[in-house]
Amino acid sequence: MRRRSRWPAALLALAAVSLSAPAPAQEAKVARRRVRSGDGTALALYRYVPEGGGAGRPAVLLVPDLGFGRESFDLQGDGLAPFLQRHGRDTYVAELRGQGGADAPAAWALCEWASLDLRAVVEAVQQAHPGGPVDLVVHGYGGGLAIAAAPRELAGKIRRVVALSPAVAPEVPNEVVRRLLGTPGTLSRASTERVHELLFTREGNIGAARRGMLERAGPRDLGRSAARDLLRWMEEGDLPFPDGTRVRERFAGYDRPTLVVLPMLDNYAHAEFAEPLRALAPRARVQLKSLSKLYLQQEDYTHLSVLHGRAATQDVFLPALQFLDAADAAEAAP
Amino acid sequence: MRRPSLLLLVLPALLGGGCATLVEPLPREAEVHRARTPDGWELELVRYAARPAATGRPVLLCHGITANGRNMDLDSGHSMARWFAAHGRQTWTVSLRPAGSFFGAEGGTSPRWKPGYGFDELVDQDLPTAVAYVRRVTGAPLIDYAGHSLGGIVLYGYLGSGGQGLGAAAVLGSPMRLDLGGPVDALLPQVAALLNPGWYFPAKGPSLFGIPLAGMVQDNPTELVLYNPENTTHLTMQRLMAYGIEDTGMALLQQLAGMMRNGELKSRDGARDYRQLLAGVTTPVLVVAGKRDRMAPVPAVKAGYRALGGPKEWRLMGVENGARADYGHMDLVLGERAATEVWPVVLDFFERHSR
Repeated sequence: MRRRSRWPAALLALAAVSLSAPAPAQEAKVARRRVRSGDGTALALYRYVPEGGGAGRPAVLLVPDLGFGRESFDLQGDGLAPFLQRHGRDTYVAELRGQGGADAPAAWALCEWASLDLRAVVEAVQQAHPGGPVDLVVHGYGGGLAIAAAPRELAGKIRRVVALSPAVAPEVPNEVVRRLLGTPGTLSRASTERVHELLFTREGNIGAARRGMLERAGPRDLGRSAARDLLRWMEEGDLPFPDGTRVRERFAGYDRPTLVVLPMLDNYAHAEFAEPLRALAPRARVQLKSLSKLYLQQEDYTHLSVLHGRAATQDVFLPALQFLDAADAAEAAP
Repeated sequence: MRRPSLLLLVLPALLGGGCATLVEPLPREAEVHRARTPDGWELELVRYAARPAATGRPVLLCHGITANGRNMDLDSGHSMARWFAAHGRQTWTVSLRPAGSFFGAEGGTSPRWKPGYGFDELVDQDLPTAVAYVRRVTGAPLIDYAGHSLGGIVLYGYLGSGGQGLGAAAVLGSPMRLDLGGPVDALLPQVAALLNPGWYFPAKGPSLFGIPLAGMVQDNPTELVLYNPENTTHLTMQRLMAYGIEDTGMALLQQLAGMMRNGELKSRDGARDYRQLLAGVTTPVLVVAGKRDRMAPVPAVKAGYRALGGPKEWRLMGVENGARADYGHMDLVLGERAATEVWPVVLDFFERHSR
């Protein structure tokens, strides 16, 4: 009996798969540069220049959560950074100490991340946008620190802030995090100990391929001293800065218009750690946005699905852009 | 033209018949009591004796909004009341108004048309009456208390207003502010304000129509708001809808809507800000939240915890803390594993604050 060739069927299947697969994201135009922090630590800054250069509108600086890198905002061409770029924003992603391609000194403190590194990258962005304040998008515990830096080291440099689950009143979220931070600072073990999903993506509507990429990508270890800082901040709810101030005290001086996004199923930086910003920063115009299926959103959102969920563009990115653009419109009005 | 009228006849019969198969009457050991409030409502309380013998203070359990005492004592497999009784605590459930009958403040003997009511009446009339009744009948100087949802908010109001007689308390899924950036946070309070405070929001009848939907349609409104099917079975929810639901006062909804409008829960005269008053509470309170509770989201429940002044503890029921599934609103009292994952936490808190 003559054996039928399987090639035509295989070719047809291949064609069908290639037609049904989502088109690869258009290659974003990204420039990378090194920025030196106040103590000489090498940081990474990625620039996503939009068509037309994005002149006339504030640049947007995206800062991942502690230990996470650029992939938070750009996972192989998909994410908030390329989204903002496509919508005409000159967009930057920073990797500060302990994140992605930045250096990590042997012993570093969270206050250095906030007061030295963040300041250095904001100033680097301002070099390309002289005189103009920068819009910030921040995430998680790094988000809380960035907000604490805004009224001090970043005073006069920040215009508006989109804060995704910013931990301004942190607690130890669960014993898994306590163990990872206490042994010491080995956040990267989240993947090997199979708790990455529990902490960052559980019940998030993220495709399997992206979920795998996120798990392989991070987070990086914080290191002993930074992990101790973070755990102490969670346990005590406050954190001292070298200038004698404390995080909570700094929030009292924070006055930037801020959109706080609350992913209700975040098992790492809980939504209830972020909600108190309006009480802690009474001078800021804080606008909350709960993410919940109750409000007809696609999911209740987790630490990473808020950035990489299948419906994040519609549920998170667009409202964030509207928040930033609304200010543009208000400022342009006579 | 005959079909609609036929439907009108058949549908209630079907619903009635279906509900009848769902109803599980109270067991023989349940003792029904009635206590009258100063303003003339007769509240129903149900007592279960401690088994095998009392090992701690009596416990009073209070249900949530649009529910009655069966919320805490649904059936033999889902009864916080019978579970506490089996663990050495004489246990009581109470059904707040509008369950029960209204006789008027002057001590009438015939039930009257039920007047409207708000949150203040639950705080000032119903809960003090229930607490005093249980203390009087049991002779206990102090009792413990667990409230689900509204039952916890009423406790907050009671304690914040200086209420006495409680040794320790637990609130489960009780929000103290609901202005969390939802799309209808501003709209719903405005709509509620347009309605007559003397009216009732009808929940009892419409809930019967939801019974067939439970389990048939994924993410139907009841499921979205009230429970996680990984914790609570559809049959359990159908039972609750069949005999655990009550209408609710429009004035109550209007007061609670303040939590959506600006995060405030105030007395109708504006004199009491119930969340602020929590700073003066000295009774130990355990606050329990469900990670997947969409009716009382974790930040909303945490607001009550943060406002409490006295000894307090916080428990979040979710997979991250060892639960088999993230807890929804009703799961805390009706979930399949609540008896092993939630209620022991409450009992342990009561035991640790028993002296």
